[in-house]
Amino acid sequence: MVAMPSEPCQELTQSPRYNLDGDIIFSVAKDQHICAWYSHNGERLGTYHGHVGAIWTVDVDPTTTMIASGSADNTIRLWDVKSAKNLKTWEFPTAVKRVEFSEDGTKLLGVTEKRMGYLSNIVVFDINPDPAAEQTDERALTIVCDESKATVAGFSYLNRYIIAGHEDGSVSQYDAKTGELIDNIPIHELNQPIVDLQWNADRTYFITACKDKSAKLVAARDLTVLKTYPADTPLNSATITPKKDFVILGGGQAAMDVTRTSARQGKFEARFYHKIFEDEIGRVRGHFGPLNTVAADPTGKSYASGGEDGYVRVHHFDKGYFDFLYEVERERINRMS
Amino acid sequence: EDADRGASADLAVVEARRHLLNEWYEWRENMEAELAEERERAGLPKDPHTHLLEAKTKTLQVADQEQVVE
Repeated sequence: MVAMPSEPCQELTQSPRYNLDGDIIFSVAKDQHICAWYSHNGERLGTYHGHVGAIWTVDVDPTTTMIASGSADNTIRLWDVKSAKNLKTWEFPTAVKRVEFSEDGTKLLGVTEKRMGYLSNIVVFDINPDPAAEQTDERALTIVCDESKATVAGFSYLNRYIIAGHEDGSVSQYDAKTGELIDNIPIHELNQPIVDLQWNADRTYFITACKDKSAKLVAARDLTVLKTYPADTPLNSATITPKKDFVILGGGQAAMDVTRTSARQGKFEARFYHKIFEDEIGRVRGHFGPLNTVAADPTGKSYASGGEDGYVRVHHFDKGYFDFLYEVERERINRMS
Repeated sequence: EDADRGASADLAVVEARRHLLNEWYEWRENMEAELAEERERAGLPKDPHTHLLEAKTKTLQVADQEQVVE
């Protein structure tokens, strides 16, 4: 286990994100810079300075050439991973709560916050994957979310759909070329915000985390709910593990709410569920505050969690984790071999 | 008798899991086949990342060689 402390600041909520090779983790906190870490030992590789507000979100392109970040300073910034140079800054009227690259790294989307006079928007930019190239000022697309505020969004397989999660507990499927709304389905409890949306490797399905204390696995093609994972605490994040059929959920009440209920039940554990059977199979302790983000290593070797306590914790899975199988899974593997 | 009942309940659980497992993998196989077909039809490589990573590796190798020349 590797714990990476953040530098002291007022609010420390950490949101880690792996690159595709699983060797680098990018994390953002409210302390206005992005950090890059080696996942195997927690050594800091670099920092990215330029934002002048809390940073809410970071994503890395498939070749670990560029990262994008979204901030309370109302900008999306694009950075060169290697030189830490701020390659481009796009400005908005409100804060940017989420950014995500498409699977081929040719598009970047951002979700902007709703604030008096402004609806939340999903904005899309075409990205030139060459870090030396000039990036466009023009948006390729703007989707105005006038029904319910979008909280999270991402590109599906083949960059076909933009899938968004909303404040009202629904998910939307948009045509990623035209921005046209194809479908909107209430999958979580009404008016319980969806706060995270993460993809499986080929982006044909995704997991949502919701304040209604559940996570759901949903098909991108038709928004069918495939699986539901009930928890006993409001969730902040959910991720799908490659190699094993598990999902990891993270959440917990904020300190303020805990004292009002039960001080003992902070519930600051990462919860592992079997992806297919929906059973909870284990918990991992470590944080002293709610888990803000859980992220699965794309190579399946580890996972990272970011907490309100200001730490990013990286857990490398042991043999027991990889060996764990239900009897029917063992049966299936034997049949296939 | 209780043991029998317990055993049949266990059997039902196992049977239900077997069903869930088959259902999941059937769905995955269909989805993967559909995706592979659509990628091929669009003239895209099978995997969205392999060629990108290969191209990046090549540029890094070129950069390394240039450094050696210096």
